[in-house]
Order: sequence, then structure tokens, then C-alpha cells
Amino acid sequence: MADDVAHRALVIQLARLGDLVQSLPAIAALQAQADVAALDLLCPAPFIALGSCVPGIGRVLAWEVERWRMWADRWSSAREETLTEIEAYLRMAIPKPYAAAFNLNQHSRSILAATLVSRRVMGPGERGPLTDDLPPWAEYLRTVARSRDRNRVHLADVFCGLCGVVPRGTAPCLRLPPTSLPDDLSSIGTTEGPWVAVIVGAGDVARCIPPTIWREWIRVFLDASRDGRVVLIGSEADCERSAVVQDGLSSLCLGRVWDATGRATLIQTAALLSRCQWVIGSDTGPLHLGTAVGARAMGFYFARARVHETGPYGEGHWTWQGRSLADQQGKQCVDGVDVDMINQWPIVQSVRLMVDDRPEECDGWTLWQSHLDRWGVHHAATGGCTDSGECREDVWRRLHRPLSLKAIPHEYV
Amino acid sequence: MNTFETNLAAIASKDAALAVALRESRGGALHITPARSGQPTATVLGRFLHSAYDPRREADAWATAQSAVCRPGEVLVVLGVGLLYHVEALRACVSRDTAIGIVVPDLKELHDVCLSRTLDRWIHEVEWLWGPVERMATSLATTGRRLRFLSYAPAAALHTSVHARLERLMRQQVSARAGGQIHVAVVGPIYGGSLPIAHYAAAALEQLGHRVTWIDHSLHQASYDVMTGLKDPRHRATLQSRLGDVLGQLTIARLAEDPPDMVLALAQAPMTLPLLEHLRKKNFLTAMWFVENYRHLTYWQQVAAGYDHWFVIQKKPCEDALRYAGAKQVNYLPLAAEPSLHCPLSLMPEDQTAVGADVSFVGAGYANRRALLPRLLSNEWAFKLWGNEWDGATSLAHVLQRGGARIDTATCVKVFNGTKVNINLHSWTGEGLDPDGDYVNPRAFELAACGAFQIVDARTLMPEVFTKEEILSFSRPDSLVPLVRQWLRDDLGRRQMADAARSRVLAEHTYVHRMRGLLAHIGVSQPDRVGAILQGERQASALMERSDSVPELIPALAQFASQERVELKDVALRIRNRGMSARLSREDLLILMLDEYRTETRDLL
Repeated sequence: MADDVAHRALVIQLARLGDLVQSLPAIAALQAQADVAALDLLCPAPFIALGSCVPGIGRVLAWEVERWRMWADRWSSAREETLTEIEAYLRMAIPKPYAAAFNLNQHSRSILAATLVSRRVMGPGERGPLTDDLPPWAEYLRTVARSRDRNRVHLADVFCGLCGVVPRGTAPCLRLPPTSLPDDLSSIGTTEGPWVAVIVGAGDVARCIPPTIWREWIRVFLDASRDGRVVLIGSEADCERSAVVQDGLSSLCLGRVWDATGRATLIQTAALLSRCQWVIGSDTGPLHLGTAVGARAMGFYFARARVHETGPYGEGHWTWQGRSLADQQGKQCVDGVDVDMINQWPIVQSVRLMVDDRPEECDGWTLWQSHLDRWGVHHAATGGCTDSGECREDVWRRLHRPLSLKAIPHEYV
Repeated sequence: MNTFETNLAAIASKDAALAVALRESRGGALHITPARSGQPTATVLGRFLHSAYDPRREADAWATAQSAVCRPGEVLVVLGVGLLYHVEALRACVSRDTAIGIVVPDLKELHDVCLSRTLDRWIHEVEWLWGPVERMATSLATTGRRLRFLSYAPAAALHTSVHARLERLMRQQVSARAGGQIHVAVVGPIYGGSLPIAHYAAAALEQLGHRVTWIDHSLHQASYDVMTGLKDPRHRATLQSRLGDVLGQLTIARLAEDPPDMVLALAQAPMTLPLLEHLRKKNFLTAMWFVENYRHLTYWQQVAAGYDHWFVIQKKPCEDALRYAGAKQVNYLPLAAEPSLHCPLSLMPEDQTAVGADVSFVGAGYANRRALLPRLLSNEWAFKLWGNEWDGATSLAHVLQRGGARIDTATCVKVFNGTKVNINLHSWTGEGLDPDGDYVNPRAFELAACGAFQIVDARTLMPEVFTKEEILSFSRPDSLVPLVRQWLRDDLGRRQMADAARSRVLAEHTYVHRMRGLLAHIGVSQPDRVGAILQGERQASALMERSDSVPELIPALAQFASQERVELKDVALRIRNRGMSARLSREDLLILMLDEYRTETRDLL
């Protein structure tokens, strides 16, 4: 009966790549639950191959945003056909409703999707698709997002809370299939390193590290590490940025730099990251993907990125958190640090940390290291920065409602 | 049985009369030759109607492109016969519930097809439209389904006049049956001659029962004028351009707040090409009524490709120039009058004294007017000149009224009514009469609507809108004075012509007529969008009738008044208004989901 979708549960993650990777601890914790016989995953169509690499996941269902947009556009002129077509699509993808859907997104589309495909919704939408009344963890997430208040519970662990499970205290990894790479990239990771994957861009422009900073970082790193190698990672949109990074590097340096921007599928990117010892970048999907395939992360967090919420998940990752003037004066920082306002980047310090494992201070930045415990991940500061936020354990004790699928199915439909 | 007989038998099974007519026709319209692929291809006067290499492959490509825009359940009306490869390919591309009708203007052409290639089983799945155009139009109208015209250009080019007549008849039928309410955003300019026309167009659409969002940029004229006063031309140009950009963004914001079914911009509306392309990506339908002389204002070249539909007041070569610049659909739509403003008046004696005259002219001081109007001086009649921009016209200074101030519409109407002979000279920057004078200006329609007699410079497009018995034209400067003299003496003749012209305006040339025509054009070319709305297909009653296949929709639709237009956002809003704890059906959830994506696609800024 395990293959019967009626007896399966579904995890719904319709947001971006980083969110999908941050969902892995919740998926792992759900799989350990006796109540959950088997688990499928619903994710955006572009991530479907990656979803198949999540250990223990049965079926990976594609949420086809473009088709929904097309149907929305067509409904007015062809209502009956449109609804018939949607029903046919849903019937083919999900022949029977799931016993439960664990919805990890707050937006209406995800809530409606969860309500449509399952008999019971866990997480946002569990109290009805139209209500503003959110379950405790979803309310907590919304409050933190709105107030930008101090928070020590990581997003990945909040996802666990939304599903009614506690983190397992480990960092789950993706299982990549054998993946062929373009010929000139196939040698990556095959020689002594360290190999460092540099995430050149970011989906959010505000989180893009200037190419000049990357160029300097690469130069300092290759100077400090005789065997060091660099792989530039990014989408097609990052190709120009990558060219600017390489422009001005000496030919000696360039011989140790591999440019993979715009040349790899998502799975190939994951394979490249898995061949690197380190992944370095701002708070972006590929940085988190790197941690999920075994690379150690070095994050530069600025703009609205906050290490305690979305820092690299796992043990021993490093994160440099940019400090705004308000932050440095001990006040609460609401708007984050604008990249244009950063005068100094921890280039030398991060290279020494990577090469010599030697933490050093850098003005305007705080260095954090990730640790795992029974409440998930937490980031501890080096250099005596204290955590004045609410204790994670207290938050868990206040908000946690253990998962029970014995409750009656939702009555909203 | 030979090929001809086999084909005729197949055609007879659908249309026996056509088969008989084909047997009686002689053929010889097409010259048949083998293509490189071995299949027959055809030429007319040396021009190939199908590929000389591989007609089938070419037809497949055409059909694939056409079928992408077709919707199930429509009737596809194919213009262009040729050897019917394209129809065969189209039949294979579209669903079975899509009907195909082939317009056959010339039986000889179809006779040649029947002789040259065996028409396969698909021939049983098409309809033939032949005989008088009126009969074709009636036949199409009685289908009761959405019609979509598809043109196979190489073959359609042989019969453009027949196709144009058929389309015109279909537009008239769409226009006559229009009952649905469409939502139109009318975007006006900051200032200028197209501003009042934008007002008239908006009012006419409302008069036709449609919903109008009036995006009025004339509110910003004061700011624009401040910039006009800047001495440095670079500063002036930069700031006016930036104001235009801001107003473009403001237009987008207004459209996002209440998305219309179509955006109708009038000439000089602050819409740039990137902005129009952005709107197209978001699936907004856009139209421009370019009520300017395309030879004088040439900015249309920069935005030609941006609008889905262009309506112009000139025909060839204006239409060709726009198409060459990237416009997809270009149609002629002459100017008009607004009878609620432009109407006969009984002037009070003091008004008659102030504005009345034997002969008058109202307008700005263009070069041709400065050259011609002095001829009206020093004659036996009283001549008055109204309008601005007459600086330097010393010989006319003593007849210039109100010191050359700009004249408002109300005063214009009084002048028209209080004048025995109104002179209407189209603006032109040269001396004499415009040698390319084609379009008919709004003044001609406005004077006619006022029941005022006018003498107008000759225009090539005038005979299409007024006869010689309705408006008097002159084509040589020398003939103006004799004509004025002749008609000043003929009170009855003037009255008869003016009355005839006014009747013509009321019957055919109001802005209501123009907007009806504009919507009919768009409705025919967009049968599933504007066409469907105009035909009332989106009214609750019509939707209820068609809900057989999805009866679950009926409860949602039953909440609307039968004539109320029902859109996705309306249904979704009703669902949300049922309250947070409402029990929702599966269809409710799907509608809410679609509405989420609709909101996203209209997320413009």
C-alpha cells in the first residue's frame, strides 16, 4: 500500500532553490516519523531533477508555474476547457488526494495547492485556505519577517516546526546520480586542492558581491594557497559578471580558474559543487546547494540576509555577517546592510580562515560558525559577540505541536 | 474515376451545388507546375502561390504558426485557396471541434485544384464558402461560433477586395450584435488636438455601454509648460522626456490597478516602445488611434511595432509605412464629430453680432492659410478670422478676432452657426493647397454636425465620407473667391447642403460610429478576447448556458445578475467574500488558484 498515493504524505515547497535545500532537514525528520508511511515532494518544475536527489523521497511532482499562468490568462475566454484541462492535469499528477500535505510556504498559491491535493494540510493553510489564522510556527515566521526582530531559529528548523517535527541534529545531504560534465570541466576536483566554488552572482541583485571583490578574493586566495583552484559557478545571467571577475586576473591565476557559469544544468552544478572542498558566496541557492552536497561553506551575508535565519546549514560552516552602523552601535538593524555601503570586505581574513583555519576579525563584519544540536543549527560568534536573542529552546517549547496525523481531515473542501 | 471526378464526388458529398458549379466552370486560373519535391505547385502571373521546392513543408509551417493562436470550438475562416496544401495542413493541426471554412472567391481556382491533386479525406472536414459575398457572410454569421480569419497571404493576395468586403460585412455583424460590456482604458495626451478627440472617444465608448477608465494626462500640462519655458533646449528636452517617462509609468500603474480588456491610446499619448512591449508581455491588448497627419508627426515610427492595432486617418501610403515600421494591424478610421457639442444653435442677437459673419475661418496660422486667406479680404462680404499663431500676418490683422487668442469649442460652434460660408482649409506647411491632401480633418465633420455650410480644400478621402451634394470642395486657390461669391447668394442651396451634411454625420460620422467600428475591427481579429466580450459571451446568462461540461461552475455563476459580466477576479472575489471559514468546493479552489496567477501576470510595476 506504500505506493498508493492515498497513504502518502506530500511536502510542498514552491519557493526558490535555497528554500528547497533548506527543506531537507524537515523532510529527513518527517521520514523518521512513524505516522508518515511515505513521502513525496511537490516543487517548481525547474527543480524536479534535484528533488529526485532527496533521499527517501518517493515521487517528485512538478509544479508548472507557466501552465498555471497560461490557464489564468485563458480562463476568461475558455472557462470550461480550462477547468477541464486543469482537472486532467491534476488527475494525472495526483490520482488520489494525499493523506497529508506539509506546506512550507506562506503564500496563497502554496496553501491552495496543499488544500487541493490532500485531505489534511499541515503548516500554513492548516486552518483553512482563506483564513489569516496561522499555526504557531507560521505566525512566528511572519512576525520575524515583518519586525526583523532578533531571531535565533533557523529557517530550515522552522520548516521542521511547521511539519510538527523537531530537527534530527544532522545535516542531510543530497544523493547525486552519476553526472557527465562538459569535457573541460570534468577535471574539476580531480587534483589536489583546495577547490573553491565561487558563487558569482545572486538571484537578488542586492545580494550580488561586486565582481571587483571577487577578483581580489581569487587573487589573494590563489596567492595564499599554492594548490588552490577556483570554479566560478552561476547561471547564464551571471556570464557577464564572471567575465568581469576574470578580466584583470593574471594569466597565472587564470590557469587555476574554471568558468562554469551558464554551462551547467542544476544537477551538473550540484555535481561541480560536490567536487569542491569549499563553496563561497552570499546567501544564495547555490551556496546552500553546496552544503547539501558536502562542501564547506563560507558565506558573506549582507543586504537583508541574516545568518541566524538562513545561514549555511550543518556543522562547521563559516559566515561573515555584515554589520550596519546601527548594528555596530548596538541598535536593532531593520534594513540590513546595503552592498554599496560596505567599505571593507573580509578578503584576507576569509582566505586565512580557509587556508590556515585561523579566524581573524574584520571591521564591519562579525564571524559566525555553525553548530548542530537537538534544536537544529545555531551560529556562534567568534570574537565574543553575544547572542541577545530569544533562546531557541524556549521558542521550541512555546510553539511546538508534535505531529499527529490521526486528526480528522480538513473540512474546507 | 479520374482525379477531377474523385474530388468532385468528395465535394458533392458536402456541397452538391458547389460540385455542379465546379463542373460548369472552366478552370485556368492557376498555372500548375511540379515542385522539386514532385508535388504540384501553382503560379499566377509568374508568382508562386506555394513553395517551388516543397509545398507540403511550407504549408505545415504555416499551419503550425496559425494553429498556435486558434482556440478549440472556433470556426477558422481561411482566406486564400491556391492548391489547398495549407488547409490540409491546418486540418491536421487543429482539434476536431474546430471548424474550417474556405472562402472561394473564384470557382476557376478550385476547379484547377480539383484537376491537379487528389484531395484526401480531410476534404470531408471543411466547409466551402462561395457565391456572393453577402451569402458567405450570412452563412458565417449563422454558425453562432467564434470566427477567426486566417490569411494564407500568397493565395489571398489574388482576391483582396472580396476578402475585404467579407471582413467588412462580418464587422458590421459583430457591431450589430454587440451587447457585451468591454472595459477600455483610454490614454490621452498631455495637450494638443488629439486631447478633445480622446475625450470624445471615451464618451462614445461609455455611450455604447462600455466601461471606460480615462487616463488623463492633461492634468500635467502645467508642469509640461513650465519645462517648455526653460531657455536651454537640452534641459527642456531632457525634462520633458523624463516627464513623458513618468507619465508612462503612471499609465502602467493605473492599468495595473484596474486591468482593462484593451488600452486605447490617442496620438501623442506618452507611451514608449519598451512600455508597450511590457504591456504585451503581460497580455494587454493595445490600440492606437493616430488622429494626426503621419507625414507631419513622425514619432509613430518608434512605436509602430508596440501597438497590437493601429487606426489611422489616412490610407495608403500611410498604412504601408506603418506596416513597414512594424505595425501588425493597420486600419483606416476617419475622424468624426460629437453631436452633443457640435450641433445647430439659435444664436442670441448679441452672439450673432459678436461671432456672426458672411465668411469665417477658424484655425491656427499655417503657411497655406496665410497665403490663401488674404484673397477673402476687400470683397463685398464681411470676413472674420479666428484662432491663434497668426503673428506676422499683417494683412489679416484687422480681421483677426480676439487678438489671435485660442478659441474654445463652445465659441467655435457659435462661429460655425453664425457664419454663412465657413472656410475649412486643412493645415499644411507649404503655400497653396496640400498636393498630398488625403485625410479629412475633424473640422469638416464638426461643421457638418453643426448644420453649417462649408467650403473645404479638396481631399482625396473626402468622397468616402461626404458626397458633392453634402460638402463643397475646391481644388485650385483661384476658385475659392468665386465659390464664396456664388454660394453667399444662394441661401437655399447652402441650407440644403448643410442639412444633407448634418444628416450624413448623424447617420455615419459620430464618435459613437467610430468606436463601434474600432471595436468591431478588433473583435473580428481577436474573436476569443474582445470579440467574445462584445458578443456577450462573458455575461452570466451566456456562461450558464455553456456550463454543460462543467456544471460545478453553475453555483458560482448563479450569484451574478444575468446580464452582468463575469470575469475571473469577480468570481474569485465572491468566493473570498464568503468568509474565512467558508466551505469551498474544488472548483472554488481552482478559481482562487487561477486568480493568484492572474494577479501575478498583471503585476506590472
